[in-house]
Amino acid sequence: MSMLLELTGIEAAYGKLKALHGVSFSVAQAEIVALLGANGAGKSTTLRVISGLMKASAGNVVFNGKPIANLRPDLILKLGIAHCPEERHVWPEMTVEENLRLGGYTCSSKTELEQRLEKVVQPFARLRERYRQLAGTLSGGEQQMLAIARALMSSPRLLLLDEPSLGLAPRITQELLDIFRQLRDGGMTIVLVEQNVHNALSVASRAYVFETGRVVAEDTAKSLLGNPDLLRAYLGG
Amino acid sequence: MDFLLQLLANGLVNGTFYALSALGLTLIFGLMRVVNFAHGELYMVGGLIGWALTELVGANFFLALLIVVIATGAAGYLIDRWLIERVRNQGAESGILLTIGISIFLTNTALLIVGTVPHKVLSPFANKPLFLGPVVLTQSRLSIVAICAVLMLAVHLLIKHTTLGRAMRATVQDAMAASLVGIRTERIHGFTFALGTALASAAGALLGSIYVTQPTIGGLVSLKAFVVVILGGLGSFAGAIIGGLVLGVAEALWGGYFATGYVDAIGFALVIVMLLVRPYGLFSVKSERA
Ligand SMILES: Nc1ncnc2c1ncn2[C@@H]1O[C@H](COP(=O)(O)OP(=O)(O)OP(=O)(O)O)[C@@H](O)[C@H]1O
Ligand SMILES: [Mg+2]
Repeated sequence: MSMLLELTGIEAAYGKLKALHGVSFSVAQAEIVALLGANGAGKSTTLRVISGLMKASAGNVVFNGKPIANLRPDLILKLGIAHCPEERHVWPEMTVEENLRLGGYTCSSKTELEQRLEKVVQPFARLRERYRQLAGTLSGGEQQMLAIARALMSSPRLLLLDEPSLGLAPRITQELLDIFRQLRDGGMTIVLVEQNVHNALSVASRAYVFETGRVVAEDTAKSLLGNPDLLRAYLGG
Repeated sequence: MDFLLQLLANGLVNGTFYALSALGLTLIFGLMRVVNFAHGELYMVGGLIGWALTELVGANFFLALLIVVIATGAAGYLIDRWLIERVRNQGAESGILLTIGISIFLTNTALLIVGTVPHKVLSPFANKPLFLGPVVLTQSRLSIVAICAVLMLAVHLLIKHTTLGRAMRATVQDAMAASLVGIRTERIHGFTFALGTALASAAGALLGSIYVTQPTIGGLVSLKAFVVVILGGLGSFAGAIIGGLVLGVAEALWGGYFATGYVDAIGFALVIVMLLVRPYGLFSVKSERA
């Protein structure tokens, strides 16, 4: 199986503080891979390196056969990687529609943009009802949906999702997980960072476990789910 | 009654001028969080370039205005990329010190080049009186008011309804999210400062045909602009327009019914009252803010 995304030996630091000590993993086309691990393990930092928000001080990121480490974020986005960050980061003083349209900022064709808009809001009926509402006035769940829809507006091949279910009601979380499955069935590749291990493993095919800036384990979702002792050992939960 | 109408008309005309003069200041704050203490000096530069082009070169007024906008816009872009970029996200103080430095540089460079003599931009509009019912206004003032209105509308449309405008608002509200949708935020900052600079200098060139321009007026212009934006709410577009009109009308009424000598104090009285009763200004609408 040829890999769509491949990280090898990624190191990264915030100032002097090293957050990643050689992270390696890979993701195949149309696969959902979960990144698990305790707070501060380096999951978000890894996503930031992939999307170009942060520089890697060592290591390689290869996407679709191309080395992309340390490219500018807009170029990485254009190659087909969208990053939906922790804590949503919607633009609070802009409408839902403006947030979505800006998600397609790199799309130069107007008709294409309208088509994407139409397609992207399909699974998020609530967003369509709130087109003219300011994003800052949306509920947490709606803001999360907006953040995901905005990321999808760039029409990515690979979607990086950082704790999309954080603070959401279980019902909304299940709704989101269903949407992730649909996206995967449509050919999308997803890297999912999650605190809730069971939710993550219910959609992912494989998982990597992070600990203090390193990948310490890799396994299929099935075998992790069938082995609670192993999970507890890695994740303390 | 006619006297009151005349005062109101004068006040609204001056108020429009104040509004345009303050727009660049409020935009740069609203879209970049930079308090631009060089605002008045950028206005002054626009006025002096306008004077040099129309008086010395003999250029057409509108051509001169276009050149002022393009030249100072480009300069504003470079100022942002070379200077402001270095102090971005380092707190308000460094930005304030930097722009104060720029203001001192601009004033003294202008003094070196043109000296202290006041100059006027040549406009095609006559100083002929126009009678609108009981109210008299000059043709030149009315024409400049019309141009101001067009400029303000154009800037409003740019910010609200174009992709560039959306990118500017997105960048100030959440720069990381802006990077993640492919917006090159450093360029957007440059364009925003260019827009604010071009607006300040366009105001200088336009109003330089009504009032005089000289290298040392920057401080006064900044002062009035700060009065306007504090009245309207720093960072608010609508606030700058309302604040300008309020100041213009208040000054006209005060000057007409009381003492002309204290007209400039009116603005400060209004600001003090405003800071006491509504410290965020008339418009704490956060349309342009994070
Ligand atoms: N902006 C920052 N500045 C300095 N250090 C940071 C910053 N962001 C993260 N770190 C540090 O980098 C390390 C990895 O953090 P990271 O956010 O990648 O962890 P995480 O696995 O996403 O954790 P969480 O589950 O809490 O989101 C931590 O030690 C953290 O303190
Ligand atoms: Mg994180």
